Parts: sequence; C-alpha cells; structure tokens
Amino acid sequence: MMSQKTDDLVFYKTCDLLKPYNKKNISLTMETDIATELEIDSVAVLDLIMEIEDIYAISIPMNLMADIRTIGNLVQAIHDLGGNK
Amino acid sequence: MSLLDKLSTIPERLDVIVQSGHDPFNVTISDVKSATQVVIDGRDVIMAGSNNYLGLTFDPDCIKAGQQALSALGTGTTGSRIANGTYDGHQDLEQRIAAMMGCTAALVYPSGYQANLGVIAALASRDDTILIDADCHACIYDGCLMSGATIVRFRHNSPEDLDRRLQQLGGEGSNKLIIVEGLYSMFGDTAPLKEFVAVKKKHGAFLYVDEAHSLGVFGENGRGLAEQQGVSQDIDFIVGTFSKSLGSIGGFCVSNHPEFAYMKFTSRPYMFTASISPATIGTVITAIEKIRTHPELREKLWSNARRLHDGLKNAGLKLCAPASPIVSVELPDQESAIIGWNRLLEAGIYVNLAIPPGTPNSKSLLRSSISAAHDHDQIDQIVAAFQKVITLSNSLTANQATQEETIV
Repeated sequence: MMSQKTDDLVFYKTCDLLKPYNKKNISLTMETDIATELEIDSVAVLDLIMEIEDIYAISIPMNLMADIRTIGNLVQAIHDLGGNK
Repeated sequence: MSLLDKLSTIPERLDVIVQSGHDPFNVTISDVKSATQVVIDGRDVIMAGSNNYLGLTFDPDCIKAGQQALSALGTGTTGSRIANGTYDGHQDLEQRIAAMMGCTAALVYPSGYQANLGVIAALASRDDTILIDADCHACIYDGCLMSGATIVRFRHNSPEDLDRRLQQLGGEGSNKLIIVEGLYSMFGDTAPLKEFVAVKKKHGAFLYVDEAHSLGVFGENGRGLAEQQGVSQDIDFIVGTFSKSLGSIGGFCVSNHPEFAYMKFTSRPYMFTASISPATIGTVITAIEKIRTHPELREKLWSNARRLHDGLKNAGLKLCAPASPIVSVELPDQESAIIGWNRLLEAGIYVNLAIPPGTPNSKSLLRSSISAAHDHDQIDQIVAAFQKVITLSNSLTANQATQEETIV
C-alpha cells in the first residue's frame, strides 16, 4: 500500500515533466507510450531523462532505454534505481 | 506492424521539409570547381557547409601523391588489414599519424565513424561504464551501444555534472571511460578539457577525446584542442578523422597505453573491413606534412572564422558559440530554418540545415563552416546573403503569425 502511494508520486511528477511535450494534450496514464503516443523524438526523450535524473539524483543508464516504452516503465525504472527516496 | 512500416512515416516528414523548395538532404553537387566553389542545379554556389577547414582538397601536392599511389599500387587493396590489406603505406601512415599526435601508436580505420565504433567497442565491455557528453556524435553513441557497457549521459560540457555522476556511481566496481569531443560540430563550441582531466584524475577514470573537427584547427602543431589546452599527455585516447582538415577519408585513434596496439586483434571494424586505398594514403600523408610545414593555413582559417563570425554577429544574427570555424545561426523554428536555407541556396550559398532530432536541445540551425581557402570576398557574400535572407524569413514568419492571429 505504502509503495503504491510512493509510485503515484513519481508518476505525477513524471506526468508534470511530460506536459511540455504533450502537444496533443492526451490524457497521461501508466500505459501511455512515450515515443508513439506523445511523439517525442529520441533526443528529446534523452533530455527528459536527464531532467528526471537531476530531480531524483539517479543515473538511468541508456541501456535501459530500450525497455522503457510507457510512462509506467519509466516510473518503475525510477523506483528501481532508488529515485523515490 | 510490418518490418517496413517504420519507414513509411518518412515521406510525410520529408514533404513538410521539401515544400519550401529543395530537398536539403538530397542536394547533389554536379561539379567541384575548387575547395570553396561547387555547382548545384547548374549554378555556381559558394560552399560554406563542408568540413574542408584547411582547404586541402585541391592542394596540388596532395593530388599528385594520390595520383602516384593510384598508378603505382592500383585502385584498391581489396582486403582487410589482418589479411592482404596491409601495405607499407598503411604502416607508414599509422607511424606518421602517431608521430604527428605525439603518441606511441595509432590505428587507422576507413572512416572516422568506424574509428569511434571500433575503438569504443573494443575498449569497453559489459562490466565497464561509459560516461558520454550529451552532445556527442551519433557514432559515439553507436560505439557505446556496440560495446555492451553501461552508458551514462552527462550534461553537455559540464565537468560538475560528470563529477556528480561519477560520485553517484561510486569508486568500486567497473572501469569508467569518459568520452567527449574537442570542437562540437553543431554549435561550434569547445570542451573544457582541462576541467574534464581534473575530474578524470579525481575518479581514476580514462578520458577519450574525439578531435574530428579540431584536428588541424587547434594547437601549435595542429594536434587539436587537447594540445591547445596543454593536456595532450592526460588524454588516454584521441580519435580523429582524415575527412575534415586533411581533406580525404579515413579515421584513426592514437594512444600511449602500451596495450593499445593489440586492439588491432580485437577491434572488429578494424579487422573485418577492407583497408583504405593507396591513393587515400598518399593524400593523407601529404596533408599531414602540409599541416606541419604550413602553419599559416591555420592562421588563415582563424582569420576567416573571425571574419564570418563577426560579420554575422554584427548583422544581428543569433550565434551559438564564440568564434570558431563552425558558425551556427540559430533560427526560431524548423520552418524558418528551412525557408532560410532555401533562400541562401538560391542566393548562391550552401550551408548545412540542421534540425531536430539531429541537433542538441531541439534547436534549428543554419550551420556554416569556414575554410582557409575562402577569400574575403566570398565571406562577405556569405554574410550579405545571410543578412538579406534572414531578415526576409523573419518578416515572413512574422507575417504568417499576424495572419494566423487575424484568423483566430
């Protein structure tokens, strides 16, 4: 229960950071596909990751990027790297 | 999704770019009149978007050396370095490039792109960590991915961010390889190598510098930015290319680490591709000699670079970096950059159109690069064309905005 709440906070923060990229103003869920639904290009995704890294004081290795497709995947990666502390 | 579906969105994106006139990614040069003059669509155009920094592509001695090698040794080696593709010339070139760079050993590759792929992938492996500057070239990213190492990106030109990330990763465990460039090709800004060296030493990491655009451009001997900043001896690996200031094709890596030379037995893009042709070797060896014996070429390049930079700055254009042979003008958006690029070409000036995702921070740029071979008159023509065209495209964008506002 506790961990669900923490996840939610990371999710809301992530959605906040995605706002400037959400040009079509679609509603963001854990299932939203970052590249195809938000149409963010590959370099912009990397820049977004860097912002997240700064906020949570973590490094998300680029190798993980291939597995991060949805907002939920990204939130989980932040969580796994200890970024919810 | 079918295998080819990912390509099917390309025409849609291209249509947007091409609707303003020429296709910027499919310009065909039908004749080359000199290092700075080409023919496009039957018209003479000033080349202000090559990487021919020292203007050596038409140097009579380089051409002669290439012709002699071509006649004596044939059109190609038809073999790889570990089989029948190593001639005296390949060994000679490796020794000369090592000597020029003040290093003990060099490996030569068929292109700069392959040099980065080959060296990074051979250096790092699964248990290592590579930290790359966010603005590094695509081939560095690709080399990192090929290596299988953990890849961490740090903020462009920020030794502080690199330091922080190395701190986070901790001193134990994997080896750390830091990769930066000398002169960055899009904005024309340079790396604070001295500060990066300090961070490298603090964390016991290795430092790798790609001097593709800075070789022949910086330093007393033209070795690059590390030489200019007095830190050559603290760089573990320097990569460069023959296709920019040396006016030919090929790439290399130099190092003073004794184990480095063995990479010729582990670097796959070195081992499993055909070696560069004898004619190429001839032109590169002669161009290296030109850099050594003609420092005035570098002086001319810098004087031209400052003339272009100052001219565009005085014209009120937004430039991306202090004066260097790469001068990029920032445009407000992709559309105005495309319009501006077309108008410049119509005015007889070729520059590079650089738009996202090929640019850092999603910027839209008109990138020009200057050569020692440009004369003052050509530079003034470039500045005048920019001034006319950008003012026009700004007013077009402004008009469009006003119209849109009216419609709304």
